[in-house]
Amino acid sequence: MSMELRRARRRQMLIFMLVFAAIVILMGRLYYWQVVRAAGLALRANQEHVQSLVLNAPRGIIYDAQGHILATNVVRDDVYIEPIQFSIDFQGSYQSDLTTLVQSLHSVLPSVSESQLYKEFGLSLQTLRIAIGITEQQSQRLQSMQLPDIFLEPRVWRTYPDGSLAAQVLGYVSPDNNQGYYGIEGQYNTLLAGKPGSFTSETDLYGNPLVVGSSAEQQPVSGANLTLTINSTIQYMIQQGLVKTIKQLGAQGGSVVVLNARTGAVVAMVGAPTFDPNQYSAYANQTGCLGSESVYFNPVLYCAYEPGSTMKAVTMSAALNQGLITPDTSFYDPGYINFSDAPTVYNWADAAYGTETMTQVLEHSANVGAAYVAHNILGPSRYYPYVAKFGFGQLTGINDGPEATGFYRIPGSPGWTMSDLTRQAFGQSIEASLLQVAMVYQTIANGGVMMQPYLVSSINNNGKVSITHPQIERRVISTKAAQALTGMLEMVAEKGLGQPTQVPGYTVAVKTGTATTQGISANQTEASVAGFIPASNPQFVILVKIDRPQATIYGGSAAGPLWQTIGQQLMWYYHVPPDAVS
Amino acid sequence: MERLKQRDSGSKTALPKPIVAAKRRRQLYPFFFSMGPVALSICSVLLIGLMAVLYLTQVGQAETANQRIQNYHDQQAVLQRQNQDLAATIAQEQSPGYIAAKAQAMGLVPEDPNAVKVIVVKHLEQMLNGSQNNQTIQP
Repeated sequence: MSMELRRARRRQMLIFMLVFAAIVILMGRLYYWQVVRAAGLALRANQEHVQSLVLNAPRGIIYDAQGHILATNVVRDDVYIEPIQFSIDFQGSYQSDLTTLVQSLHSVLPSVSESQLYKEFGLSLQTLRIAIGITEQQSQRLQSMQLPDIFLEPRVWRTYPDGSLAAQVLGYVSPDNNQGYYGIEGQYNTLLAGKPGSFTSETDLYGNPLVVGSSAEQQPVSGANLTLTINSTIQYMIQQGLVKTIKQLGAQGGSVVVLNARTGAVVAMVGAPTFDPNQYSAYANQTGCLGSESVYFNPVLYCAYEPGSTMKAVTMSAALNQGLITPDTSFYDPGYINFSDAPTVYNWADAAYGTETMTQVLEHSANVGAAYVAHNILGPSRYYPYVAKFGFGQLTGINDGPEATGFYRIPGSPGWTMSDLTRQAFGQSIEASLLQVAMVYQTIANGGVMMQPYLVSSINNNGKVSITHPQIERRVISTKAAQALTGMLEMVAEKGLGQPTQVPGYTVAVKTGTATTQGISANQTEASVAGFIPASNPQFVILVKIDRPQATIYGGSAAGPLWQTIGQQLMWYYHVPPDAVS
Repeated sequence: MERLKQRDSGSKTALPKPIVAAKRRRQLYPFFFSMGPVALSICSVLLIGLMAVLYLTQVGQAETANQRIQNYHDQQAVLQRQNQDLAATIAQEQSPGYIAAKAQAMGLVPEDPNAVKVIVVKHLEQMLNGSQNNQTIQP
């Protein structure tokens, strides 16, 4: 081979090697970016143009027994400003543009003062919220004005169209985290909240999801809708009456519960003071239950109290059911009774009634008679099983939610003495919730059979409907004993302290209660009336309790008129035919 | 003579036969693409460009459709919002408190329970419907 050819070949080889080296380097870089750094770069790319949205599930709606909405959802806007962006966009004419913007904003949002707006625009913040939950009209005005560096962020709010109606039954939902607290909202929060979904897709230049491109979507599961057993009209009527009664009597509060006597369904459940769940935070410092609980708690379920003479129905039930007394069994009542193993028991105001029947014991609400039956006739072994069977000291199990169990000492409890027995016979030394006491009268009204109380009549979970059927809890006393006791309670309304509860045209069966609290003046009572109407064919159980009335302290005179009004309204509303022919 | 013959036979076997050669030319230059390499390159570029235009047109249409869908979603959200507001308004106006306030504003007053008279008609039998019959649920 000639020298020139050899040199040419060498030059070719050199060029080839250089090109080859360049290609190898490029391939190496390609490998580095396409393989080694692929995951990180793909992630960054996805972050820029792949958007993941959380699709909020609409919260379930709560209806009353007639299908009226008690709680629903609306969308309201929060208003945000962008102070830093504004200062960049309007550098040249900052002051004049700011003045115009502030005036425009203030004209739409008068609750936000101009001085506050000037201050907020002066802050070094990317975004700042200046108003929350503005009205639809305000949103529309702001949108039409197209103000610079202002944007609206929609948010779902829970709204209660009836205001404070049944507030303590419903509870409330916090708009910050969409969690329910207290009442039905708290107890059924998981069911009402549903399950959020998600939507992942590529986005266009404006951030809109490219639905025609690749996307992954998981549909949200809407919250379940709940229908309660509450009747809004009856609830409203009772709420108005209770507030009026409390004001008239100078009382500290009160509560009312109305049950369907046959099924145990709660027709109305009212407490005062109460709150407006649309503005729940304004009531954070307010209390109910005579100052012992926050106003958010339902007093019918959470406030335990000494039932007073309404407890005498339990004492008489126990003795009647065991055949130990009849309504006409008599004894001598000198106004007091001595016990060898317990302190003396006195009637209210030391009243002496002489020879009286058991029916008259209830008519007069004689503590002596009740203590006599519990101590001398029943004794602990025949009394306490009935107290337990009537549900005292236990949860009622109403919709499996939280509630007060109440408390009382029994033989074997630390500190129990026969004094507990004699006092519990007329409703002292025992604490119970209003619902527990109402269930006693529901049992009597239902021929001795206690039903399971319930507040939620049906749940519609995305088309899957589950209905609550009335459930028998247990038989407490015989039908005969229940009928005998009903007759006795009728006499209380006819001739006894329950006369203020008489409803023209209807028979009623009631027992009044005037409970004092140890350590507190005897003038500070918890006045109550419990009973059912009509007595001949019970439809509704009503229990009214007034806390520390001043104008009159007795159950019959304080709570009786409201009981009568409620009974009458119930009979009209449900078209129950009169059963009293007189 | 033999050398010449050998030379002739050697030169004849080196060249391909005309039919085979023509076949090979047809394989390399089919009927529709009977063009040179430059023309072929230009056509390829034009073809690729046409395909790109078609693709971009499709993408543009998809974007337009996407925008339309997005607008429908926005409208749907607005209508849902309005629907919820109307439902809440209806609920509010059906509430007992609202009705009572409106009734009072119209000058109506609540019925006085004491003004209700119960009239007793002798020998009149009550008509009881199913829910009002004497019932006790037995365990």
